[in-house]
Amino acid sequence: MNLRRLLAVSRKEVLQLRRDRRSMVLAFLLPLLLLLLFGYAISWDVREIATAVWDGDQTPASRALLDAFWASGYFDEVARVGDEAAARAALDRGEASVVLVLPRGFERDLASGETATVQALVDGSDANTATIVLAYARAIVLGYGARVRLEGGRPPLPLTVQSRVWYNEELRSRNMIVPGLVAVIMMIIAAMLTSLTLSREWERGTMEQLASTPVSRAEVVLGKLLPYLAIGMVDVAATSTVGVLLFDVPFRGSVMLLALLSFLFLLGASGIGIFVSAGSKSQLLATQVAMIVSYLPSLLLSGFMFAISSMPAPLRAVTYLIPARYFLVVTRGIFLKGVGIEVLRGEALLMALFAVAGVTLAVVRFKKELE
Amino acid sequence: MGHREERSDEAISMPNASPSHDGAPAIAVHDLTRNFGAFVAVDHVSFEVGRGEVFGFLGPNGAGKTTTIKMLAGLLAPTAGEAHVAGLDVAREPEAVKQRIGYMSQLFSLYGDLTVEENIIFFGGLYGLRGKEREERRDWVLRMAGLEAARARLVRELALGFKQRLALGCAVLHRPPILFLDEPTSGVDPLSRRTFWDLIHELARGGTTVLVSTHYMEEAEYCHRLALMNRGKLVALDTPPALRQKLGAPILEVRAADAPAAVEALQAEDAVRAVGLFGRALHVTVDEAARGEEAVRRRLRDAGIAVESLRRIPPSLEDVFVALVQESGGAMVS
Amino acid sequence: MSAAARISPARIAEMLRKELRQIFRDPQLYRILFIAPVVQLLMFGYAVSTDVRHTRTFVVDHAGDPASRRVVEALTAGGFFDVVGRSMRDADVVEELDHGRAVVALVIPPRFGADLAAGDASVQLLVDGTNSNVATVALGQAEGILSSLGVTLVPPTVAGTALTLPIELRDRAWYNPDLKSRDYNVPGVVGVLLFLVCMLLTALAVVRERELGTLEQLMVTPLLPLELVAGKALPFALIGLVDLVLVTLLAVLWFGVPLVGSPLLLLFATLLFLLPSLGLGLLISTTSKTQQEAFMASYLTLVPAILLSGFMFPVASMPPLFRALSLLNPLRHYLEIVRGIFLKGVGLPELWRAHLWLLALGVTFVGVAAARFQKRIG
Repeated sequence: MNLRRLLAVSRKEVLQLRRDRRSMVLAFLLPLLLLLLFGYAISWDVREIATAVWDGDQTPASRALLDAFWASGYFDEVARVGDEAAARAALDRGEASVVLVLPRGFERDLASGETATVQALVDGSDANTATIVLAYARAIVLGYGARVRLEGGRPPLPLTVQSRVWYNEELRSRNMIVPGLVAVIMMIIAAMLTSLTLSREWERGTMEQLASTPVSRAEVVLGKLLPYLAIGMVDVAATSTVGVLLFDVPFRGSVMLLALLSFLFLLGASGIGIFVSAGSKSQLLATQVAMIVSYLPSLLLSGFMFAISSMPAPLRAVTYLIPARYFLVVTRGIFLKGVGIEVLRGEALLMALFAVAGVTLAVVRFKKELE
Repeated sequence: MGHREERSDEAISMPNASPSHDGAPAIAVHDLTRNFGAFVAVDHVSFEVGRGEVFGFLGPNGAGKTTTIKMLAGLLAPTAGEAHVAGLDVAREPEAVKQRIGYMSQLFSLYGDLTVEENIIFFGGLYGLRGKEREERRDWVLRMAGLEAARARLVRELALGFKQRLALGCAVLHRPPILFLDEPTSGVDPLSRRTFWDLIHELARGGTTVLVSTHYMEEAEYCHRLALMNRGKLVALDTPPALRQKLGAPILEVRAADAPAAVEALQAEDAVRAVGLFGRALHVTVDEAARGEEAVRRRLRDAGIAVESLRRIPPSLEDVFVALVQESGGAMVS
Repeated sequence: MSAAARISPARIAEMLRKELRQIFRDPQLYRILFIAPVVQLLMFGYAVSTDVRHTRTFVVDHAGDPASRRVVEALTAGGFFDVVGRSMRDADVVEELDHGRAVVALVIPPRFGADLAAGDASVQLLVDGTNSNVATVALGQAEGILSSLGVTLVPPTVAGTALTLPIELRDRAWYNPDLKSRDYNVPGVVGVLLFLVCMLLTALAVVRERELGTLEQLMVTPLLPLELVAGKALPFALIGLVDLVLVTLLAVLWFGVPLVGSPLLLLFATLLFLLPSLGLGLLISTTSKTQQEAFMASYLTLVPAILLSGFMFPVASMPPLFRALSLLNPLRHYLEIVRGIFLKGVGLPELWRAHLWLLALGVTFVGVAAARFQKRIG
């Protein structure tokens, strides 16, 4: 292994990368775009739910309950309806996602100590939003009921639940997504940039030229890895900084630990990228293979957006083979929970293993393809 | 490449009769210009090509040959100037022009994943050939390209020479009166190239006007007339013998111990107009034979380069080419 | 353009025949066309689930009396919560949540049974909010279960009179009564797949001809740009329709997603949706020189298009600026239609606006692409 030759390969790679507009877009613009989209544009947080009201009671009590809904900030009144057909039409047209029905006799039942009923007709087509809407509605109704009981001088409910949320106290989906983005961006660099590096040389016929020089296989692979590792680390730093400063995502753990484990993950993922690249003689093929074997599984099966615990058992088993799954535990652990190596040592070990495996696979495959 | 031997073969393929120049020209170009941003690719080029003529386009890479051909074929709009092909203005009626021309580019451009026959049928269909006529033309192309036995083979499996002949066949399926060939034989072996030129002359004898660009000097000799382009300008236009004649300056063939060093030394000499390296020998264009010879010998002696032999030779087309390109500012770097 | 430049159906047919021949001769294209949609549907159908069930729960029961056991039983009975560990020390809760071994911790204080009998008991629920979605839903589920449990646990003799909840929330979910996220996601996959197939393959098919130099050869023939575009796009439109049928059948028969509305309207809306999808593909092909570039450009278009379509993240949750921007996204409108037809069974009276958007976007994209095409060639 000769360091000067290795650096010569790196320098050449950097020169080519700098002149390749497409690579620069992928390396810097795409992460920025993703960060903006995930940070600003999209979330699972349900706020200002379009609510239609069917108030059959029209009493101070029914109005007080509705006020509790509006005061919560989750519900927004968009329409008043007077019968079931109108309620249905509002949901059909998508004008409202929930209809609150306060039946006649609501105030009377409440005053007499009978159980008063409130009905929520929810547009269930988006099951996730609907579930959250119902959870909010239930909490508001319960709170209002308890208050009425107290004000009426009756004993409080026998069993109360005191709930506390840890790590992501305001339950913002952004806090969950941004740390995960660090992993996703690395997969993009690894799968879509690194996977091109060798196949580009195959495609252009420069590989023979390279192979005819004294540079060794390992020097080529490592020399080509270096620039991508640098880009990856810059992206991690930028994403984290923007996430914390602009999007108020908490950062409670150690920066050093994040940098170290990110580096290990990046090394492994880029190794896999080069592994794919070594076997693909065209750039198009390399990108497609990398997308299918590393990028998409990391996106869908890592728990980045969709909880692994909600997947069926066979799919859950598959997720154990996806390194991004472990890295996600790391980033969320460091960002939100503020845990250290004592908690993450299992994941750290796997990251290290992944890094060694990735680079070894890349060198071995490259050697084989050259022969 | 030994250009001298190939030149001696020219009589075999070269048609004896010169084409007729009477009537309206097949191609008429007047002050044709094309800019790409600030770069002038084609700069006020004017020429005419008679019917049935084989008209050669010579010039270094980037001289503007391909751009000119693309404008004539209706693939690029001219920035300024006029071009008439088959009597039609290419800027105003590109669609009508397309029906009357055949075009074949340096990039081999048929579908590799279709068979020989499928390619022919497809292009025939685009040119509006139907039924019996299409079948006749298909059989003609298969015969002409020598691909009758390979009609069901995928095109990507063919040797390059056959692909080239098939491409030519597809370009003339609709019997166009005018044919544009942009470096049609680049990368093809000499034997296939010869066969290909026989086909071109066969077409020309049938009345087809052929405008062809090439890098190969021996191919230039097969043309009725040659246009030499450099840096977007037309720098010479005449028949091959006249071009050779026009280069009045004498040519000295010099064999020296260190040929590359000799080229460098002679380029600095005032009495030398152009220097080209031909194999191991140098072709030196000088202003006047006797004084030139003396200047060359002196300059090489000063540079410490031993002269093995020095003699005067008749100019070849390649000499003309080198001299004209250097006179007009040398070839472009890119 | 002169009179000679009239659109010829024969030339379009010739292009079509050639394209189909090439498509069916390419084994790789086969995979993209027919296998990839099925695999993706299965993947999304199973992986993309936002249903929250079997939440890992850690229990710290300081009381250990019958009442506290009833609480744990009630919590786990519906399959919403699974107990993964128990302990008697509060510190273990931190440990479990930090390691991510449990998402929810239930802490029952000492003397719980006695407190309950006195009508004044409380339990503590600690939730790992890292996954905000899971946390919100799990909290709602737990609070619902526990508060109604409180009423039934207290014997009437203690409370004096029979205890009742002051207000009860009855919920009814329309269109998707069991609130299965799959029923929402799978029809969405139909849209994403069609978008992907039509846009990407159209872009690749045109750029491949440019890469090979055959595009130039085509442009010197009398073939008009519009004929070329039609010949390129039509095969993929056909394939898109085949994919639609394939994926819809799988969704209904394999995943049991209801198709309440009119399949005919679905077909009609899909035809409208193909227009902007193919248009975008053509637009990409006019800006790319190589297939690799076209692939990247398609990816860079797909990512924001999918994220801003409501496929996974509801449009209603976006800030106003992005909500407005998403109107320019054909996928957003198509998803609204597809979900409306599949789940709600609604028709044109409710969905005409989305159809109009698709038509407008389609005409715009195809128009711009055709104009750019003409300019590049001419």
